[in-house]
Amino acid sequence: MTTTTTMPTTTSTGGTTRTRSRRRSPIAPYVFVAPAVVLYLAFLLVPMLYSVYLSFRGLRLVEGGAFGKRQEVFIGLGNYVSAITDRDFLAGFGRLAVYGAIAVPLTLGLALVFALLLDLGATRAKRFSRTAIFIPYAVPGVVATLMWGFMYLPLTSPFSYVTEQLGWGTIPFLENPEIFGSIANIAIWGGVGFNMIIIYTSLRGIPSELYDAARIDGANEWQIAWRVKVPLVTPALVLTGLFALIGTLQVYGEPTTLRPMTSAISQTWVPLMTIYRDAFVRDDLPRAAAGSVFLAVCTVALSVILLRLTQKRAFGES
Amino acid sequence: MRSRVFAATSALVAAGALLAGCSGGSSSGSEDEAADGPVTLEYWAWGTAQDPMVDAWNKAHPDIQVKHTDAGGGSDSSAKLLTATRADNAPDVAVVEYQTLPAMIVGDVAADITEYVDDDLKSSFTDATWGLTTFNDAIYGVPQDVGPMAFVYNQARLDELGVPVPTTWAEFKTAAAAVRAADPNAYLATFNTSEFGFFAGMAQQAGAQWWSVDGDQWTVGIDDEASQEVADYWQDLIDNDLIKVEDLLTPQWNQEVNAGQVLSWPSALWAPGVIYGVAEGMAGQWAMAPLPQWTPGDTAVAYQGGSAVVVTTSSKHPKEAAEFAAWINSTDEGAAIQLETGQYPASTLGQTKAETSAPPLLMPQQTDFWELASTIAADTIPNISWGPNVNVAQSAFQDAMAKAVQNGTPLREALTETQKVVVEDMKTTGFDVSE
Repeated sequence: MTTTTTMPTTTSTGGTTRTRSRRRSPIAPYVFVAPAVVLYLAFLLVPMLYSVYLSFRGLRLVEGGAFGKRQEVFIGLGNYVSAITDRDFLAGFGRLAVYGAIAVPLTLGLALVFALLLDLGATRAKRFSRTAIFIPYAVPGVVATLMWGFMYLPLTSPFSYVTEQLGWGTIPFLENPEIFGSIANIAIWGGVGFNMIIIYTSLRGIPSELYDAARIDGANEWQIAWRVKVPLVTPALVLTGLFALIGTLQVYGEPTTLRPMTSAISQTWVPLMTIYRDAFVRDDLPRAAAGSVFLAVCTVALSVILLRLTQKRAFGES
Repeated sequence: MRSRVFAATSALVAAGALLAGCSGGSSSGSEDEAADGPVTLEYWAWGTAQDPMVDAWNKAHPDIQVKHTDAGGGSDSSAKLLTATRADNAPDVAVVEYQTLPAMIVGDVAADITEYVDDDLKSSFTDATWGLTTFNDAIYGVPQDVGPMAFVYNQARLDELGVPVPTTWAEFKTAAAAVRAADPNAYLATFNTSEFGFFAGMAQQAGAQWWSVDGDQWTVGIDDEASQEVADYWQDLIDNDLIKVEDLLTPQWNQEVNAGQVLSWPSALWAPGVIYGVAEGMAGQWAMAPLPQWTPGDTAVAYQGGSAVVVTTSSKHPKEAAEFAAWINSTDEGAAIQLETGQYPASTLGQTKAETSAPPLLMPQQTDFWELASTIAADTIPNISWGPNVNVAQSAFQDAMAKAVQNGTPLREALTETQKVVVEDMKTTGFDVSE
């Protein structure tokens, strides 16, 4: 209440306020940014630097003996060498590539198609469809994976039940190479709604005059969608593409949750699973730190490359 | 606004004072030992037996109060113990599985409690059981429960199909074939690529020594001849479709057990409780028999699972902690609670007591269950030692086995791969290893 009454008075007496605010300014901005800076330092920068520090350390026997005690010592680049030369860790990146090649285009493609359909004037039951497509995003990943897991296991799967009744046998959802599609499917199911909302919001921001102009020029709905809408939502597509790429590099929950159901998923199936195994199964936190730093560098590098490649198209910058 | 800031600040100050109070309290407690006020011990353990045991102890010992925390099952709990020890806030006492005990010693979690083990306590367990917690003549834990291996099977279905209960692994193969012939939808058993403990137990039964220590030198024998023969044995069963490769306790497996399509689980004494948990309707149909043997007439089996109570190096009250560990695992009260909650006690007292208990819920018809259990437990393979990196071995084994089954490569190679990873890891850490 007090602030609302003082506001007009300060603005009306312009000159004095300016000098007053100049006198106050040295402290005020710092106070205002302090919470953000402190949180950033405490919960982002310090842990990051600590991981980097940890990645140069190793747990080694210092005094020897069959039951000697392991202690943390400096070992230089040893963890990076062992992580980068680990075939299982690298194979994880290969699996990510296969998974990404399935999941990213399908998620974005479906999201774009649904967004364009929702944006059509003729579409019925818009609000219902929008909610129905979005709801899977609200289902927690682990719950979704368990649910799909049940639908993949031969004995509990409704799909396999149907194919079996038709005499075609069960569908090997949880075997190689079908497993890639099965895991990608869970991510697509959960991710399409979120991406659709971003693209749809961007579509709603396009002024309708552009459509009128296109119609006057004789464009049909197909041409409007392809020649007007898609180019104008490119920034949204780049954004969702970036999210999808980072999401791909961070795949962990789905394969980890499905692992107890199939031997097709190893403990090193994707890089994050290897990192988890090193940290909490093998009790080798330093090597996990090295793996994490490597993965983070890859993520940043890929994001920068993607942004560079798409910058001109997406944002019209030179 | 101002009052809110004031409230927040005063709350912070109060919290700080509380924290200071806490730390002050505990440090003064450690200085004065048990002189004034009761000692409080932190205890990490999992399973239904722990709460009643802690309650019974707390009632009997007003001066030493124990606070129980469930920090997750075997591997979760040990991972947390390692990190908590490095952060210097580990509990005073904790339950650790036998196979991870060496990793806890090397990780400086488990303390040497030899000085607290008197003759009385010593005589509460057999030498073979003490062997599970003794390393280089130092005792690192008080045994709590043991899991001698046993054959748990669907008696009703095997009778129906006319298949006799196998007593040797050769008969197990014949029985597996007979089950396949009698009912194409059923398998005698499943082979699970992540069952490290089972495979190790079976290899030990065949004479394998996965780790052994001589002075300061370790020897790793995960791919020794005995283990390779176990791999070949399962390979043969898999190749001839006599058993099914499938993970345990998945919705699929549970359904097959309930439908009478998976007819046995070679495992250990604790298995009936697990099966009952997923297939209550099978009660009365299943039974337990001794595990099949490699040589007819042999009776010795290995342990699969089981755990000990360790005192941590971080504890400020090791004497009291050791007293607690001894009491819950060697007294009549402790044993009674263990049996009620389905643990098979490690103490001879508890095992004798078991013989007069009711059989597990899965097999109420098998009235001689506990007598049979004590016969099995009386003859276990002595001197089994686990290495300092069983965690590494377990994860390497699981991945290598799964890969072998997926790609159709020999299980033998999976053992060789596991051996390689384990030896490399030990060498990197700085152990003296011979292959």
